[in-house]
Amino acid sequence: PRPPLLCRKLSGLYFIEDRKEWSDLEPVPQDDGPNPVVKIAYSEKFTDVFDYFRALLKNDEKSERAFTLTAEAIELNAANYTVWHYRRVLLQALEKDLRQEMRYITAIIEEQPKNYQVWHHRRMVVEWLSDPSEELEFIADILSQDAKNYHAWQHRQWVIQEYKLWDSELEFVERLLEEDVRNNSAWNQRHFVISHTTGYSDPAILDREVQYCLCQIRKAPHNESVWNYLKGILQDRGLSSHPGLLERVLELKETQCSPYLLAFLVDSYEDALETNNTRATLNQAQEVCALLAQVKDTIRREYWLFLGRSLESKYGPTAAPQSDAASSDAADQQELS
Amino acid sequence: MLDRNIILVIPVAKMSEEGNQIEEFEQIDFLKDRHVRFFQRSLQVLPERYSSLETTRLTIVFFALSGLDVLDALHVIDKDNMIEWIYSLQVLPTEDESNMQRCGFRGSSHIGLPYSSKGPGMAHPYDSGHIAMTYTGLASLLLLGDDLSRVNKRACLTGLKALQLEDGSFYAVPEGSENDMRFIYCAACICYMLDDWSGMDIHKAIEYIRRSMSYDNGIGQGAGLESHGGSTFCAVASLRLMGRLEETLSERELDRIRRWCIMRQQTGFHGRPNKPVDTCYSFWVGATLELLDVFQYTNYEKNRNYILSTQDRLVGGFAKWPDSHPDPLHAYFGLCGLSLLGEPELMKVHPALNVTQRAFQHLQQLQQAWRDNVSSCT
Repeated sequence: PRPPLLCRKLSGLYFIEDRKEWSDLEPVPQDDGPNPVVKIAYSEKFTDVFDYFRALLKNDEKSERAFTLTAEAIELNAANYTVWHYRRVLLQALEKDLRQEMRYITAIIEEQPKNYQVWHHRRMVVEWLSDPSEELEFIADILSQDAKNYHAWQHRQWVIQEYKLWDSELEFVERLLEEDVRNNSAWNQRHFVISHTTGYSDPAILDREVQYCLCQIRKAPHNESVWNYLKGILQDRGLSSHPGLLERVLELKETQCSPYLLAFLVDSYEDALETNNTRATLNQAQEVCALLAQVKDTIRREYWLFLGRSLESKYGPTAAPQSDAASSDAADQQELS
Repeated sequence: MLDRNIILVIPVAKMSEEGNQIEEFEQIDFLKDRHVRFFQRSLQVLPERYSSLETTRLTIVFFALSGLDVLDALHVIDKDNMIEWIYSLQVLPTEDESNMQRCGFRGSSHIGLPYSSKGPGMAHPYDSGHIAMTYTGLASLLLLGDDLSRVNKRACLTGLKALQLEDGSFYAVPEGSENDMRFIYCAACICYMLDDWSGMDIHKAIEYIRRSMSYDNGIGQGAGLESHGGSTFCAVASLRLMGRLEETLSERELDRIRRWCIMRQQTGFHGRPNKPVDTCYSFWVGATLELLDVFQYTNYEKNRNYILSTQDRLVGGFAKWPDSHPDPLHAYFGLCGLSLLGEPELMKVHPALNVTQRAFQHLQQLQQAWRDNVSSCT
């Protein structure tokens, strides 16, 4: 039983139920039927706000009091996508100040940066304003608190692509990589920027990137991200096609070895085997697989042994003769492309 | 404060190959009953601090029910009551069918419609289904043994089709939302369960999946985005459900995905390179590896030990990390991760559909009956 009206006002609880300007509206409770499941035990205040929200929703009321209530509902549960949608309907129907809405959503995201709804809302407001001018700085601030926030990166890529804001992004990526060379999100962004601007076809660019990777590897050898990037930009041209790279990697193997370096080696050898199958190359690949399985990456022992067996069966003496284009079936066609 | 790191170890006499007895310490502290009670409690009342889960309550129901199913403990709940409540969340067509594109299942009663587990639908300006709720609603009904006869399949599929975008991905709700790989997976599960792919343009979805493949051979939430264990699972599992895995990805591409996934194991698994491990990835990545036939080459012991280190010995369930608060999602995926490892007391999980094999077989029987009905009518 609720305490009487006077007590509630004295204690500072001033429910919507008590506010005169809402007296025309009949609150709508949630109805989970006779056997509710996963029922959440809401406080009276929470129930109050949402019972009135449901009433507004039912009538599709487009008013200032409705708009104000959405903010109260959001404060209680920022993950309620219906409240956000209704707020957007009201923003348009009441022709609200979208600059102010940007300030509002900025504050909410700072408080709850891992919520899907708040980022989607911000994207809608930016689109309505056709104004991305605050975005890169805002996202940079969110990333300064959590450099790998997936929502932040996703929003950033959307803004950059939609509004063609490529110009300073590589610089931004390099700054982040200086702060943490193991930030996989930053490496991904590097690939995003370059592939959408200069591309990797220009040999000067490709070599610049290869050198950048080798430099970062020397500084921090145990870093899967840099090796994934290096392999990623080369694998479709053929890992063994970049002049001098294999030698560089074999040098690094002595002083800056890692499971990632060795995996890169195996893949380079396999790439070489595809065009020139020799027992010598196959043995080199097998040696590295064995090193990985027994010493350098034992958690994946069974996988490296499996890979060794696969290589043997594909390229070893008992392997089926390699089919040429004229006689290969569909699967091999895909393999060659 | 109880030290949750106390792990019960019992010396177990083991016979070595030479026939000598060797004493080894074996961790056998999987607390099955605690987890049953954890899920039972989740299905009852949650405190207000869980308020952010209001619109997704049906997914919590799914985690708890499927979790109990994996524990072979569904007998502890009242299935009929549960089925009724789930059906009350179905957004059914109104008399004039003007809301067909908004049909599906809701996450909860948060909109405020009066309780009703039978049609027709009630007109409301903001009532519509949510793709993840339609998926988990159907899956929950299935694992409860329901025959889906009260599901308006045509309405669900119409609602689903309305959510697909030009680029092949899906919104969660017709009013609009973010769009990414998660909802492609939800759509694939819905079509698979209803045995009807008219709810989506498969070709466009496959194109979206291909465009989401990253330079590092993992799969991101969308084109250009960082590859991630969750989206990689969603992509691979969707292709498997569509029956298009081998025709969409070449053997080389599959090998590359295998490599990306298998590199996620650190002890347990993480979701992205250079990120900390998290119990739920033991399923997301583990199941993907299983779908690609290489889960057998992972390190079972380290994976199991990690998952169990996140077990809450007091209240049950699992957390993402050791010494953290358990929640239904991590409890469920922790169990699924253990199931993939062949944990003795657990039911097997279908790695693409994410329900027990038992529930999957029930689905197959249902679908056979549907086909028989169709052919007996023609």
